[in-house]
Amino acid sequence: MLDPYILQQLAIGLSLGMIYALMAIGFTLIFGVLNVVNFAHGEIYTIGAFAGLMVISVFGPPLLVVLFIALATGALAGFGLERLAFRPFRRFSDEASLKSRAMREATLMSSLAMSIIAREAMEMIFGSQFQSVDLAYLINKPIGIGPITIVNGDLIIFGITVVMLGGLQWLLKKSPVGLSIRAVSNNALGAKYCGINTDRTIIITFVIGSAMGALAGILVGLYYGAIFPSMGFTPGIKAFVAMVMGGLSSIPGAVISAIILGLSESLSTSFMSSVWSDMVAYAFLLLTLIFFPQGLFGARRERV
Amino acid sequence: MSKSRLIKTGLVLAAFAVVPAVLVGFDKGYYYQIATLAAIFMLLAASLHLVTGVAGLLQLGHAAFYGVGAYVAAILGADHGVGFTVGLPLAGLSAAAIAFLVALPTMRLMSIYFAVATLAIGQMLYLVFLNWVDLTNGPNGVMLFSGINLFGIEIESDLGIYYVVAAVVAVSILVLNRLSHSYYGNALRSLREDDQCASAMGINVTVMKIQAFVISSFFAGIAGALWAYTTGYISPNDFHFSQSILILTMVVVGGLGSLPGVLIGALLLILLPEALRSVGDIRNIIVGLVMFGSILFLPKGLFGEVSALNFARRLLGANWSNDEGQKGIGWK
Repeated sequence: MLDPYILQQLAIGLSLGMIYALMAIGFTLIFGVLNVVNFAHGEIYTIGAFAGLMVISVFGPPLLVVLFIALATGALAGFGLERLAFRPFRRFSDEASLKSRAMREATLMSSLAMSIIAREAMEMIFGSQFQSVDLAYLINKPIGIGPITIVNGDLIIFGITVVMLGGLQWLLKKSPVGLSIRAVSNNALGAKYCGINTDRTIIITFVIGSAMGALAGILVGLYYGAIFPSMGFTPGIKAFVAMVMGGLSSIPGAVISAIILGLSESLSTSFMSSVWSDMVAYAFLLLTLIFFPQGLFGARRERV
Repeated sequence: MSKSRLIKTGLVLAAFAVVPAVLVGFDKGYYYQIATLAAIFMLLAASLHLVTGVAGLLQLGHAAFYGVGAYVAAILGADHGVGFTVGLPLAGLSAAAIAFLVALPTMRLMSIYFAVATLAIGQMLYLVFLNWVDLTNGPNGVMLFSGINLFGIEIESDLGIYYVVAAVVAVSILVLNRLSHSYYGNALRSLREDDQCASAMGINVTVMKIQAFVISSFFAGIAGALWAYTTGYISPNDFHFSQSILILTMVVVGGLGSLPGVLIGALLLILLPEALRSVGDIRNIIVGLVMFGSILFLPKGLFGEVSALNFARRLLGANWSNDEGQKGIGWK
């Protein structure tokens, strides 16, 4: 039988990993479709948390409504982000410019600019300190299971993530929208020649990815009771790490890597100080890049 | 006097006479701080220009190497009494040494993979600054009281400090200028355009990339040491990922691959928030908007690479001769 302490850490690590997975899906979807990194994803997460917080402090609706509003805000933010930071740089749609470095760097910087603007705006409106969250909404009520204690947030996060992942898999594999997303990510130009509206598909991808990111934000905000304008930075980097470890465009890979990351981070605290636990993620990233350059689950690439 | 000599003299005069005169005219410590800060960031941007603009390696951890230089200078100065003249090169060399160790395994990675690796290295170094309390004093940072001692002369006045910083930065930028506007720079540019093709032409791709990365980190370390000596206090937040992004923004706003553009970008992004200090909280939003606008409307940067190369060749007379007698371009 495992040590109860280890079991406890496994439970924490699993919910941490689920959160990273929700974030990493957004990154991976957008990278898969556009082949660019969306630096503003961390801010989408923060926006989701703040939207939930505002709804809680103004109306105080049931938790499910709060989560839906966070989802909707994330979707809206994703739509706006695509319009402002990505659409203007897709002036030409031939293959060379779709894959060109110049366009990739331009969107990298423009999403970065958007993230700076969003973060600074939130800091100006709400102040940079922690926001107080209504205690009734916090999802950290302890539940004892045998020798270990988990909080109800662990179960909620686990349940919601599994539902979202299942839904996403269904959407991608069975629905026409998912078909067009997969087509565009496979070959944007080819998809266009087959009559797929690539612009609309890209917007849908952004909406789905951002909605998931925003949901992760409000869940974490309620789980830890800490909502502040720069909260999106660290999870954003972790999700990025998970995406790279998973092989850049593989969603199941990203999810598994995110869970591995969460588990190893929480387990690492049993033999070293918790301030170093972030080091584990970066060490994983470097080792993956050096020894498995195409990611743990990625398709074989010619050169990496 | 030829036009090229006129421009060179003008630049030197601007850095060593006009700016100090203005500073003395206002005579406020605050303006001296901004002037040294701008000079340090010009050096940082110029060093990132070599690796990201010229060699085309997207480096997302530049601030960490800047931090290595600052911490080496501050810790050597505070705990071991090592002065400016020894501490400055040591800071640069230790940043370069770490960069070399990092470069060995990561340099064969391509494009975005390399960028991610540098991001990870930058974050790891930041965690070391933040959490290795015994060495770096953790989040409290390191105080450095010794100041700048140049060959036995203690430099204490604000103007003197400005002159030292400006001289070091000017020499470093001169070196980076010679490196990026020469056959060496052309070889690096060929790596950026197509490294397989460059390799087929006989350029040793990995060695060249490692050299560019190490040289760039060396100058970042120098800039860090200057920061430590001028402010006397450093803390991990000075070397956060957002600083790497700020430096990268300077390079992109100024123009990838254009040294004069990069220097203008650094000046703009340091001076703009200070000039907007009166508008208060929204100044950072305005900086974000300027960044967005310049990417959208000036995709090549404020001073694009092609015009910058022309400028450097004709007016700075970099390392090309003027092709007299149709013998092709060559060393002067």
